[in-house]
Amino acid sequence: MEKAYDKTRSAGKNADGKTGGASRRIGENSDKQSTSKQLIAVVFILSLATKMFLLPIYLIQSTGRDAYIVLAVMCAFDLVALAAWIVSMRLSPDTDFFTLLSKLIGKVGAKIFVAFVALFYFFKLNVVTTETLTFYSDNVFADFDAAIMIFVLLIFLAAVANHTLRALGRLNELLVPLIVVCILILGTIVVMTGVDVFNVLPAMREPDSFNSALFRHAAWSGDFTPLALFVGRTQMKKHTGKIAMTAGAVGTCVAVFFALVLCAAFGNVPSLIDSSTNITSILQYSIGNVYGRIDLFSSILWSVGAFMETAFFFYCTARCIAFVIGRNNAFWIALGTCVALYCTQIFAMTDPTIFSTVVTSAAAAVTVPIFTAAIPLLALVASIVERHRSGGKRGGHADIKPKKPSYGDDGASGADACENAADGGGAKR
Amino acid sequence: MCDAPSVESRRRFLYRFSLHNCVRRAQNTFMENVQRVLDKFATPSNIVTHELKCGMVAGALLINPDLSDTATVRAVVFALESRAAAELKTLDELMRHAVLEGELEISEDIDDCINRLLNGDMLLCIDGDSRYLIINARSYPTRSIMEPPTETVMRGPREGFIEDLRTNLSLIERRLKTPDLAIDKIQIGRKTKTNVAICYILSVAEPRIVQKIKDRLDKIDIDGIVDSHYLVSYIEEKPYSIFTQTGISEKPDIVAAKLLEGRIALIVDGSPMVVTVPFVMIEEFQAGEDYYQRSSYSSFVRLLRYAGLLLATLLPGLYVALQNFHYTLIPVRFMITLMTAIKGLPLSPLAETLFVLVLFEIIREASVRMPRAVGMAMSIVGALVLGETAVNAGVISSPAVMITALSSIALFTVPNLIGPMSVLRLVFTLVGGLTGLFGLILTGLITLHYICSLNAYGTPYLAPFAPLLYSDFKDAIERAPLDDMKKRPRSIPNINPTRQA
Repeated sequence: MEKAYDKTRSAGKNADGKTGGASRRIGENSDKQSTSKQLIAVVFILSLATKMFLLPIYLIQSTGRDAYIVLAVMCAFDLVALAAWIVSMRLSPDTDFFTLLSKLIGKVGAKIFVAFVALFYFFKLNVVTTETLTFYSDNVFADFDAAIMIFVLLIFLAAVANHTLRALGRLNELLVPLIVVCILILGTIVVMTGVDVFNVLPAMREPDSFNSALFRHAAWSGDFTPLALFVGRTQMKKHTGKIAMTAGAVGTCVAVFFALVLCAAFGNVPSLIDSSTNITSILQYSIGNVYGRIDLFSSILWSVGAFMETAFFFYCTARCIAFVIGRNNAFWIALGTCVALYCTQIFAMTDPTIFSTVVTSAAAAVTVPIFTAAIPLLALVASIVERHRSGGKRGGHADIKPKKPSYGDDGASGADACENAADGGGAKR
Repeated sequence: MCDAPSVESRRRFLYRFSLHNCVRRAQNTFMENVQRVLDKFATPSNIVTHELKCGMVAGALLINPDLSDTATVRAVVFALESRAAAELKTLDELMRHAVLEGELEISEDIDDCINRLLNGDMLLCIDGDSRYLIINARSYPTRSIMEPPTETVMRGPREGFIEDLRTNLSLIERRLKTPDLAIDKIQIGRKTKTNVAICYILSVAEPRIVQKIKDRLDKIDIDGIVDSHYLVSYIEEKPYSIFTQTGISEKPDIVAAKLLEGRIALIVDGSPMVVTVPFVMIEEFQAGEDYYQRSSYSSFVRLLRYAGLLLATLLPGLYVALQNFHYTLIPVRFMITLMTAIKGLPLSPLAETLFVLVLFEIIREASVRMPRAVGMAMSIVGALVLGETAVNAGVISSPAVMITALSSIALFTVPNLIGPMSVLRLVFTLVGGLTGLFGLILTGLITLHYICSLNAYGTPYLAPFAPLLYSDFKDAIERAPLDDMKKRPRSIPNINPTRQA
């Protein structure tokens, strides 16, 4: 079959004289998986996603009305880790986390370390999943069969692990407005219903319980650790770091504000609070008859943030496993991780006693903060070392890029052009 | 004066060359040439052979009577047998001096000649020459240009594409009078040899995308394509996807506007549907009429379309989920009304809603397939009689009928998404009925994540929402006045971003 193109009318090249050299430089940095806006969206979601479910309740049970301060301290710790991540991203805009580690401590060392990191991510994944399931079983459903319901979640997680970080970033970007609207609705309702926030005063009357709560619930720290995926794969613009930090701070403030409201309501009577209590429990009787439970509905919609955090931890676990085994078989890794998650959830974590015992154990309280600090610190050190090796240039040379873009990602595609355009036509460094 | 010798020597050379060819081909009689062509046909009688005296030699015309224009045939025969041609004796001379039709070409390639004959061209062969003179005589019966039934407008152009490629190209060329308009032609299909035109504006379209599309079309090795939709699965990045990743339009004004934004159009001979790529999802929410109305009203209508889509897809699932699991979320007074309506029903909310939805899909499919008059009657029987009777009989509740009707009407606000959203609506209803809001939200996330993962030729499917491209919002949620849209959409890769000063 003849397929020669018959260019009947391709004349008049560049008729308006603008196109020749005026190509939109949108193909640069084509290996980037995330835009700066997506990074900011992810930071915002991670900063508040799970901080309004079980954590405030456990904290109030432990320390009463000072719970919000404990939460604020924990969030501050996380914000410091976030700062380390952002500095690391700025110093290493082109080299991803796994490559940085391999350069710093060797491939074998990196694999051993990443294996532990994978375990950490898997633990965090379980914590977040249990929180979400508990929220739904205790607040939303009268009869919630987690053993069946979890399958929908597993399908979502498997789908996430089988696609790229780019898709996940876009989904985050898309959901931020929804989450913001839910927060505004809840905030408005809280203000309208007139919760007396001065009930939390005077503060810090029992420093011992404060310290104890801080230590016992340290397992909830480390919400920003999924940012490891964004190192070297995000377009960092001039103000990206500052805006991301601001987004993290704003998210933290929102979480602390809602914890404060909860403390004001239950802080003086902690025995009344249990896992079925949350911000909506304060409000339901005041507005339910007229508008329906829009407060609970907003909380449910807000839970997409928690689902996204779950997705990030799942994605991180899968990528770490792929790095450790040296194979990029996304489907089987996702399937294996799903089976493991199902087993741990159904046979252990859905039992509130076991969950509480595991999460508040001394082992978890020591290990999780160590990882929360160690992973970004290591990334930071590795990026500094890499920067020195490459003669002060950020991100080092092209030859340090892995042959494959990363584990589980499809690498450069035409979509990058548009992603770059979304960030204003290329990274400004 | 200086050129005279060279012209003379060139003439001599050409004469010697043609003489040499004549000697070389002296053994060929025109009947052998005719036979060579006819041998390739399963039914040679479909081709008319007209023997005639062409100047000083005998020859024959091969005509495909079904696809050739009679007037052209008559004119060619007249010209060849006229006195003016009496002194001519070679095919080249005949081409130069006797036949004066628009497109003429001499070819020795028998497959090419047969292909042209099948397209309606005539072949002239003469004694002593193995070559054929191809004379354009194509003429197909085509319907007249009319308003396409799928894209009717209150305001704006009413012209629509038809099945003839030439007419379709002329409709585009009339709107884009620029030498930058590139029209590359290609034939696809071993048996059908269908002509496909690849149209783009050279100074706007991204060359890499043009090349990528050409490469993909080059790789197609199929016996035939009969419509532009055949190409869709070859040029889509994910052909198994439930969402279409190519734009389809029947209107030249829409295609011209898309070409101006940097897209590439594929026009297939025999199809009134023109395929455009790259494609983004928001194009489903943009109607041609939006650009001919006041921008404020167009923006309002667009918002309605977005809301309509959400309503259409999620409403039945939400209704079932709330009834099954989360009745506390419903306002008390509304709950009392609802309870009264569903009291005593034999079916569960999920079964009832699924039943009504499936019933609706069946009625819709039947109405589309039936002749128009019967289809109307069927709609009345289905929607009014069946629905009313079922409610009165207590099989289904009136809220379920109302929810389905509302959802179905809302679905029609975005006609191109009826297919995928009908399927998704059933899935959401099923999931909502079995797993409540937990499953509904997660299924929504799965769907969104899937859409986020789609790319079409360097364009994220969900742009400009994900990734965020604020500059493209002017033609996404709202429809800004045209003088405010100074740049081309950034979602669509192009090499000339400025549209107006």
